[in-house]
Amino acid sequence: MQDTVFNEIADLALKGSGQTLHASRAYLIESRLAPILRREGFGSVDDLVHCLKSRGNTALSSEMVAALTGKETCFFREREAMDEALTRMATRFQRDSRLRIWCAGVSTGQEAYSVAIRLAELGLVPDTARVEIVATDISRTVLQTATTGVYNHYQVQHGLSIQRLLTHFNKQDSGDWQASDSLRGQIGFRPHNLIESAAGLGRFHLILCRHVLSGLSRVARAKVADQLAAQLEPGGTILTGEGESLYGLTPRLEPAGDSAPLLWVSAGTAAASAA
Amino acid sequence: MKTCLIVDDSRVVRKVAARILRDLNFVIEEAADGAEALTFCRSRMPEAILLDWNMPVMNGLDFLRSLRRIEGGKAPIVVFCSIENDPEHIHEALRSGANEFIMKPFDADILESKFAEVGLV
Repeated sequence: MQDTVFNEIADLALKGSGQTLHASRAYLIESRLAPILRREGFGSVDDLVHCLKSRGNTALSSEMVAALTGKETCFFREREAMDEALTRMATRFQRDSRLRIWCAGVSTGQEAYSVAIRLAELGLVPDTARVEIVATDISRTVLQTATTGVYNHYQVQHGLSIQRLLTHFNKQDSGDWQASDSLRGQIGFRPHNLIESAAGLGRFHLILCRHVLSGLSRVARAKVADQLAAQLEPGGTILTGEGESLYGLTPRLEPAGDSAPLLWVSAGTAAASAA
Repeated sequence: MKTCLIVDDSRVVRKVAARILRDLNFVIEEAADGAEALTFCRSRMPEAILLDWNMPVMNGLDFLRSLRRIEGGKAPIVVFCSIENDPEHIHEALRSGANEFIMKPFDADILESKFAEVGLV
């Protein structure tokens, strides 16, 4: 890949999703764009970029932006932190009859299904309360997998115990496994770009945004943090991934407390909630 | 260090699994069928057993049922590992005393993930 082509793509990604691509990982660009190259009949990334420049195809460029984002995920990733966030939500809002959870940047959906499974297992939410899980990603391709809830042999063996697999998934003739109807019925999957306004999604009692921010520029991280803060119900919590911080990105958020380094709440409320 | 007994009639599978599990800090012992595995367990009970289903002499299921009946045989954590991956087969393995179940083929990530589910790593 020529340097000029790398720069074009890095620029496209930065403007489109806030993602920063590093020249040292140019191989990632090739592999992530490979399906589009094949479908459109381009021999190389260089050809694709030349075509984009001459035609200015916005549908294709947004698809490229989405394809370039990281898709790696698994079931029950960093499960202790998830338990902590769910317990906190259930305790805070025990009188609410409707709880809303947002999985932001959900990729192929494993996290949303893990949340639904865990909520059932923990039994924290009374039967009278309705839990709605909204799961979003910029890529429509990954959302297709997420919506059908069909996972292959490798995916169902990453983070999922055999007991959970048997309880919540059905084996298909193809050998893949599909999440049960009841699990899928709890989750609404929608396309959404995290650097854009999320007002249309409504407000949430808990927002999980894990391993998304670390791939973004600082400007984009600040934008995303602001958008997440704007969708938080008063008293709600944001959960970030291991090693990720929202600190200093927006005046609207603050750490929930020293004992919960991955949890974030609206500014000025952490002290009140600790008391 | 914990000992893991790998029970599989395929030398290749044993070799691959042994390599992965040594990286996870297990001491490895091997057996080529259920009867051999049972003899080993009677002399020394391992902490973990990675168990194949279809084997000559004594298959995995028969070994597992026998193991759970002998003295100290309830202690090892048994991770069944088979190409037979229909829910009915898996349920049968669990009913017979398996703690986890890996659907073959597996790789290092799957093995580590499954061992983590039962607290072995």
